[in-house]
Amino acid sequence: MRRPFLLVFFIIGSVLILSAQYQDRFKITWIEPGSGVTLPELDAFDSTEGTVGVLNASGPIKTEGHPFFTALGINGRACVNCHQPTYGMSVSTSGLMERWRTTDGKDPVFAAFDGSNCPGLPQEKESSHSLLLKRGLFRIPLSWPPKNADGSPKPVEFSIEVVRDPTGCNTSPQYGLKSADPTISVYRRPRPAANLKYVVSGGRPIVLKTGTLADVDPETGSPVSMNLMSDAREPSLKTQAVSAIMGHEQAHEPPSRQQIEQIVEFESQVYVAQQAHIFGGPLAVAGGPPGLGVTALRDHRAGVLGDNESDPVFGLFTAWKGNDYYRASVARGADIFMFRQFWLRDATHINSIGLGNPLKRTCATCHNSQMTGQDLSAGWVDVGTTNYPTWTEPSAESSELPVFKITCNRDADPHPYLGRVVYTTDPGRALISGRCVDVGSIVMQQLRGLAARAPYFANGSAKTLREVVDFYDRRFDMKLADQEKEDLINFLGAL
Amino acid sequence: MRRFGLFILGTIVALGQQRNFVACPIVRDTETVPCFLAEYEGETYYLGIQQDITSDFHPPQLKHEVLVEGRVAPGPRVCGGIPLQPLSISVLKEVNLACSTLLPAEPGLDAPPAPRGPGPSSRRAEDGSGAKRPPREPLTGRQEFTVPYAFNDDYLEYAANQVVTEAAAYAKRIGASNVKVSGYRATTVLSNGNHLVEKTGLAEKRAQNITTVLRGLGVARIVTESKNEPEPGDGQNDPSRRRVTIVVTP
Repeated sequence: MRRPFLLVFFIIGSVLILSAQYQDRFKITWIEPGSGVTLPELDAFDSTEGTVGVLNASGPIKTEGHPFFTALGINGRACVNCHQPTYGMSVSTSGLMERWRTTDGKDPVFAAFDGSNCPGLPQEKESSHSLLLKRGLFRIPLSWPPKNADGSPKPVEFSIEVVRDPTGCNTSPQYGLKSADPTISVYRRPRPAANLKYVVSGGRPIVLKTGTLADVDPETGSPVSMNLMSDAREPSLKTQAVSAIMGHEQAHEPPSRQQIEQIVEFESQVYVAQQAHIFGGPLAVAGGPPGLGVTALRDHRAGVLGDNESDPVFGLFTAWKGNDYYRASVARGADIFMFRQFWLRDATHINSIGLGNPLKRTCATCHNSQMTGQDLSAGWVDVGTTNYPTWTEPSAESSELPVFKITCNRDADPHPYLGRVVYTTDPGRALISGRCVDVGSIVMQQLRGLAARAPYFANGSAKTLREVVDFYDRRFDMKLADQEKEDLINFLGAL
Repeated sequence: MRRFGLFILGTIVALGQQRNFVACPIVRDTETVPCFLAEYEGETYYLGIQQDITSDFHPPQLKHEVLVEGRVAPGPRVCGGIPLQPLSISVLKEVNLACSTLLPAEPGLDAPPAPRGPGPSSRRAEDGSGAKRPPREPLTGRQEFTVPYAFNDDYLEYAANQVVTEAAAYAKRIGASNVKVSGYRATTVLSNGNHLVEKTGLAEKRAQNITTVLRGLGVARIVTESKNEPEPGDGQNDPSRRRVTIVVTP
């Protein structure tokens, strides 16, 4: 009887000691615009799983006067408000809740324009910011119909109707679909502004998934990856920066060329990855898996398709197939990710592009780009998080997100698996392309530094990596055993 | 007269071997990759296996009917079905929830060797070795490129995408004086005698899409035309008439 007691005592004690060490070594920091701090070349921050690393490959960054860290608009926000190093260059709900308490909701991250459920709501109330505080979601107001670069309306293949509007924004006479400037508000997570050489690589003239021309960089004329943002609406880091400053920061004047170049230069040299696990210790170790840690991200070539036999998406984990419990679990998780087959079905832009439905493959079939696990081709996919019936909301009646009814025109191709009428909480790429086939398709996200930036999915519906794994298990009937789930979670948490 | 008789006989034999039908696809799991099958008049036909986006065969999809246009090929059954070769597969666009048959693996019903494993791979499906194709003789003079399509579809599949890219590269290399893009829609004659006609406006849409892509790839002096009247079908070569042609003139 005494031994189990001692074992439990030992484990609890170890957790407390290790946690205290991490707390002492890595203070959680919220960088405010204009704070003038200097970011070290390599920084490390506490996360629920251990330590996330942030590498400034070009050396220490002085933030004073730097446009990424300086408010350029009227609401006091800078890029850093939503892209905090502490949270893997994104922002987590735990960090946002802490910030709400610390500032009594006055931090610019809670700006009425998009840091609240709708600008017309009473801003002092926590409930007016519930989607940001509970799910990490910012409001993304998008013009409807979508517009071409010259401002002319794009042709659209469907009509859209607001079925449920819990935030009030889509039916608002001022901000909604029937306002003077018809707008659809969707709610999405900010993506990490890091590891971006991988995100922007791989531009090809013709998008494999649509058979149409890829967008081009307006400055260079070269085709772009179309993997930026949830809906690929901005072609380059420069246009994205301008759009974010004019929108999220509510600037009246566009930033200067020099400011844009500074922002892009900063974003292009910052790398984020998990560096240590609270029990497993350092992850980027000599002789260990070559893909772990921030320096691996800095040094690896971008735009490389994983090879399942010799050079997998995140490198080989064979060195960890030993007796160490945590490392062996991560290695098994890597094998599940690469080799555990299941029936991938009804996923638009995967099954529908000539691969067949269903498709007996693995996680890495779609998450195929080395080092980040995005899709190497333009990566918008309807994996089912946004569209009924596989969506992540409990029901249309209790959804925290707006619900839209999409009705495809008779002469348009329907959604490949849901037909001509689709209920969705976020039409995704379709709000940009105007195409029925794109309803619910969201650009795949990179899988690095995950432990620091919960919740997950573009709609913040998975609070933990466990919930991510559970979603896929349910969605694709993977029949994962509990041990397999734990292994996958450990693997994802190590990235 | 004798030659004409032989021609008629040959046509009858060919039509006798031709199978053009619309059906729900059937997916048969195996120890390796799944096989895709379809049934017609009580017989099961083998369509192909799961491969890669770069392969010639793109499998059908559950939740959709498939238009099968193929000729009975000699040889044993594959995965329990009679093989068809040549074969054209078109996934019909409307959702049909009745198309849902996924059969478990069974001993003795094996898929042919699959050229690739389950995850992503830099290997290509064409030969499974990763070896590059030998270089072709450079093109010269007036060239016609044919962009194929599935039935009622304007999606540029991977192989079609390669054709357009090649045509664009050629037109730019020779500084083409004229690039003529012609879009067509066609008719398929089913084995039961029914005719399926591609939708109105598709020929124009195909041609416009290709023109847009060619322009985006830097091709100039493009003339676009489309033939809205559907190409007639003969039940044998109907897939080849669903097309866009790109004629590049030096």
